[in-house]
Amino acid sequence: MSEVESRAGSVGTDREISRRKFLKTAAMVGAAFSAAGIGGFDVAVRQAHAQEYKSYEGLGDVKILSFAYLLEELEGTFYDQGVKAGIFGGTALTFITDIRDNEMAHAQALASTLRKLGASVPTTPSFTFPSGTFGSTSAFLKLAATFEPTGIGAYQGAAPALQSKDILAAALSIHSAECRHWNAIKILQGVMPPNNVAFEKPLALQTVQGRVKQFGITG
Amino acid sequence: MDDQQINVAGTEEFTRPRSRRDFLKSMAVAGAGAAVASTAFAPKAFAQSGSGDVAIANFALTLEYLEATFYTKAVDAGVLSGDALKVVTALRDHENAHVQAITKLLKSVGATPVKKPQFTFPSGAFSSQSSVLKLAATFEPVGVGAYLGQAPMIQSKDILAAAGSIVGVEDEHVVAVNNLLGDAASTLEAFPKALTKQQVLAAVAPFLGMASTMETGGMSPEASPREKFRDAHL
Repeated sequence: MSEVESRAGSVGTDREISRRKFLKTAAMVGAAFSAAGIGGFDVAVRQAHAQEYKSYEGLGDVKILSFAYLLEELEGTFYDQGVKAGIFGGTALTFITDIRDNEMAHAQALASTLRKLGASVPTTPSFTFPSGTFGSTSAFLKLAATFEPTGIGAYQGAAPALQSKDILAAALSIHSAECRHWNAIKILQGVMPPNNVAFEKPLALQTVQGRVKQFGITG
Repeated sequence: MDDQQINVAGTEEFTRPRSRRDFLKSMAVAGAGAAVASTAFAPKAFAQSGSGDVAIANFALTLEYLEATFYTKAVDAGVLSGDALKVVTALRDHENAHVQAITKLLKSVGATPVKKPQFTFPSGAFSSQSSVLKLAATFEPVGVGAYLGQAPMIQSKDILAAAGSIVGVEDEHVVAVNNLLGDAASTLEAFPKALTKQQVLAAVAPFLGMASTMETGGMSPEASPREKFRDAHL
């Protein structure tokens, strides 16, 4: 019930924000297209294919997977605390529980892969979240709505830098799951339509590191 | 026959990476299979689409054309309203943006984009909101599976990056459409599945007028919980 109330409260704002974001994205895509005639390949699909992957090149698969593992641990911990906070019910609780289980499955798969590669699994730090994060559905969802695009951006950015095609395939599948999560979070926030971007955005390694540092990932 | 041997996306597969040699071997088999498949089975739209990354991009372009055409007709049919109209209008716009992006991408590397094929849709496809959404719910996972299946074979990192930006959006579509059908939770899977090119072709063949000439296994014969839910409630 509280879920419905919080959704109703955020609809107007989110819709306006999402519309603005969409228009901004559309403008960027349009600009990229019009420049394509002159600029050629790199400019042609600036929105669709960016150069962020270069920031992950040279790290190697093990370091990329280790970083991804910590991101999944962070997300898994966050959603687990969200489930246990008792603030969600109904559909929202189902979504948050499913997402938690997905993140934990990702972390397990990544840990298992690291071990098979003969690498050690990083120690999970004790994460810290802003006070009030688990006090209301809106505060929780607001943070979730920053975690998901960060995870998406990290996988999308790192994917072209992966050496192993098998690991690449798995990373892309996880990236797909994260995109589904983000859409589910937008649904809970009352964003309509929740599918409000034409292209997902990659993030450079440094951007992701900068975003997650405050929660306890310092690697 | 399977023209793509890459098999991914399950946890089991992920946790048991094959050796590079095995992978290259399977790629060689896949390559040989693809050459045969493209002449023997592939609809005309896919037949003259180049090789390697260009073929993959043209394959994706055809699927985006299919989706864009479907959603354009769906919006124009006037059977949608409320949230469904908002979601489907966005779907249409995104698929059109993907068509444009892939077309530009192909042209920028000097390749020829495939032309938009003539599509046929089942009778009644656009007669109600429910029929539109149900068909959309079958299209979108095929798009996701196609990208997930093809992406690991892309050679160019730039094209791979582009594919990554599109596939995630198709995943968002899967959730948004199923949410309208009242079943978004079932789309929250940890490892969305890749489809082989052959599976994708089988799934889209009816829309390309190729149903009678496609002799493939098609999609998984067993209805997923989502399909069962839809059959029971819609």
